[in-house]
Amino acid sequence: MTPTALDVPESRSPTTGAPMAPRPARPPALQDLWASMRDLAGHHELLVELTKRDLRIRYTQAAMGVLWAVLTPLVVALSGWMIRFGMSYLAGAPIRAPELAGIAIKAVAWSFFTGAISFGTLSLTANLPLVTKVYFPRAILPLSAVTTQMVDTAIGAAALLVVLPLAHIGVHRTLLWVPLLLALLVLFTSGLTLIAAAGNVFYRDAKHVIQLVTSFGIFFTPVFFDAGAFGPRGTRFLLLNPLGPVFEGLRLAIVDGHPLLVPIVNAEGTVLWSAAYLGYAALWAVGLAFFGALLFRRVEFSFAEYV
Amino acid sequence: MSGLIELERVWKKFRYGEGHGRLRDAIPALVRRALRRPDPDAGLHRGEFWALQDLSFTVRPGQALGLIGPNGAGKSTALKLLCGIMRPTAGRCTVRGRVGALIEVAAGFHPDLTGRENIYLQGTIMGMPRREITGKFDEIVDFSGLAPFLETPVKRYSSGMHARLGFAIAAHLEPEVLLIDEVLAVGDAAFQEKAFGRITELVQQDIPVVVVSHQLDAITTLCTRALLLDQGQVALAGTPQECITAYLHGVTAAHGPGSGDSPVRILGIHLGRAAVESGQRLGVELTGVTDGGPAADRLSVRVRVRLAQTGETVFETGTTQLGLALPGAGEFALQLELQMNVARGIYLVESAVWDRLHGRQLLRGPSSYVEVRGGPPFEGLVQMHPRARLLSGSSTAGHVP
Repeated sequence: MTPTALDVPESRSPTTGAPMAPRPARPPALQDLWASMRDLAGHHELLVELTKRDLRIRYTQAAMGVLWAVLTPLVVALSGWMIRFGMSYLAGAPIRAPELAGIAIKAVAWSFFTGAISFGTLSLTANLPLVTKVYFPRAILPLSAVTTQMVDTAIGAAALLVVLPLAHIGVHRTLLWVPLLLALLVLFTSGLTLIAAAGNVFYRDAKHVIQLVTSFGIFFTPVFFDAGAFGPRGTRFLLLNPLGPVFEGLRLAIVDGHPLLVPIVNAEGTVLWSAAYLGYAALWAVGLAFFGALLFRRVEFSFAEYV
Repeated sequence: MSGLIELERVWKKFRYGEGHGRLRDAIPALVRRALRRPDPDAGLHRGEFWALQDLSFTVRPGQALGLIGPNGAGKSTALKLLCGIMRPTAGRCTVRGRVGALIEVAAGFHPDLTGRENIYLQGTIMGMPRREITGKFDEIVDFSGLAPFLETPVKRYSSGMHARLGFAIAAHLEPEVLLIDEVLAVGDAAFQEKAFGRITELVQQDIPVVVVSHQLDAITTLCTRALLLDQGQVALAGTPQECITAYLHGVTAAHGPGSGDSPVRILGIHLGRAAVESGQRLGVELTGVTDGGPAADRLSVRVRVRLAQTGETVFETGTTQLGLALPGAGEFALQLELQMNVARGIYLVESAVWDRLHGRQLLRGPSSYVEVRGGPPFEGLVQMHPRARLLSGSSTAGHVP
């Protein structure tokens, strides 16, 4: 039960007897966000340094080193291929190389997402001495987990670039969509990571929630299969997952060379893709990034008291 | 722009124990915390306490403020507010200028990274631009004395090396505002001296400084003013001397002169001087009262000198050891002269009534303190008045005098 203001005697100064000084007013949301951005911009070197630290730690004492960056998405892709083989066997339809390529691309994107949020969620609690003893904008810690994962994933993506031509995937003009899609993915991931990291400081449940998302979220996201594989309702469901349109968009732009502003409707009249889905995902990504940054800013000064 | 440190009527509330526990309470609380304005009621809820109450001070360039007080007095909380790690519950905290914090100077080290990598990492965490670290890299390494171990992972460092590297980085900040918390005891004696020298240099720049330390002699040396904090409140504001006196009297009072009945009681202690040079004599006078009965015979009045910084007893004597017998019923005065052959520092002079028969302290008497200054240079605890000569050439083969 929360006591009301009436239950609690007002505090007075022990020395002068004067009532307590006014509490600092909370600045409006946009002003807070702006201050947060300026703070972060002033500490960009720290972001770079922490990213370097995390990369070094990840690879220097691992026997396979940088190979891990390739291996993780590769295993995700292999799992996807297994499932796809099963599905095609049941459907009696042959497998085409572009389908496998699509899975590989989405596997890389998915590894980025899971890697960033799982490292990011723990970033504050793992750096306890820093959080309680030294000042810097705390958002740097979860964000450095995201940037570290970006470098990591870039290595995996580079390996993918070598393989894609083997599946006869050429260069399309629609590749121009890829930077936008990746930006949405990074924004969405950053927003979620900020929220999860802050949440984990106060409630360790956050860690478990994120574990569930990273291990089972893949079944609710079109990674191993295309959104259209589940009928009209299933398609809508998969594309309402904010990551759905991003992943499908990547596949369409890179593998199919499909312009993303043009909708795709199958023979039964199910909308497999439309620009509206992309807009929907963009709204989510930007909204979540804003909300995450604001929430983080508003709680970051109590981290040192709670951890 | 010159630096400035200012706390204006600052309050800080903490909770005992954990805040919330489960996710069911978590999400609403988190959202509330993020979106709602802080609740306006100014009092304490159950499970909360004030870590700081109505604390105000201003430190301008050229001033150095020492914060002293027992554990839990709010010293470190005040520093955390100044660093920006926490925000006050009420009141205003202003720090203008680039902050240099000599606090937990090795907090950012990663054990798997080498000394070199950690210098960059820790330096950046402390707010040094990379270019500046590169510029000062050699100086930092030189200061730490760890040049041969630069490519060794920090996990193989001893804790002393760890602290030295951390301090060396922090010591090369160029702060406009300096905050120091208990970093004076790093490494071995030689490094401590070097570190203290560097801190003195930093403090003597024309910048505002706040120092938190239990090393009271450091506060006397470094600070121009001091605050004695107790349970989050200002108990006394004044010169370092005044605050240290009040603090040490508080410390000794806290142990209590023992309320039990005793045939012999010590009423007062008086020191001839507040400060002496190392090696000089210090007059001590104890006044007391005895009932002169047979029980008083087995009691001894003792004087104990302790180093305030560590609490270590450096000297103790009593009427028994001195071959003095307490007089018959009535008041008495015990006059002693102690030659302070000790290193500089602050020393507590305590009195006690000792039960010779049972070999235990019966009563704790009043106490005072004295500051021992400079004197001839030596290191360690005790002045051994060395008599030395230096021989040269072939005459060295020989004997110890």
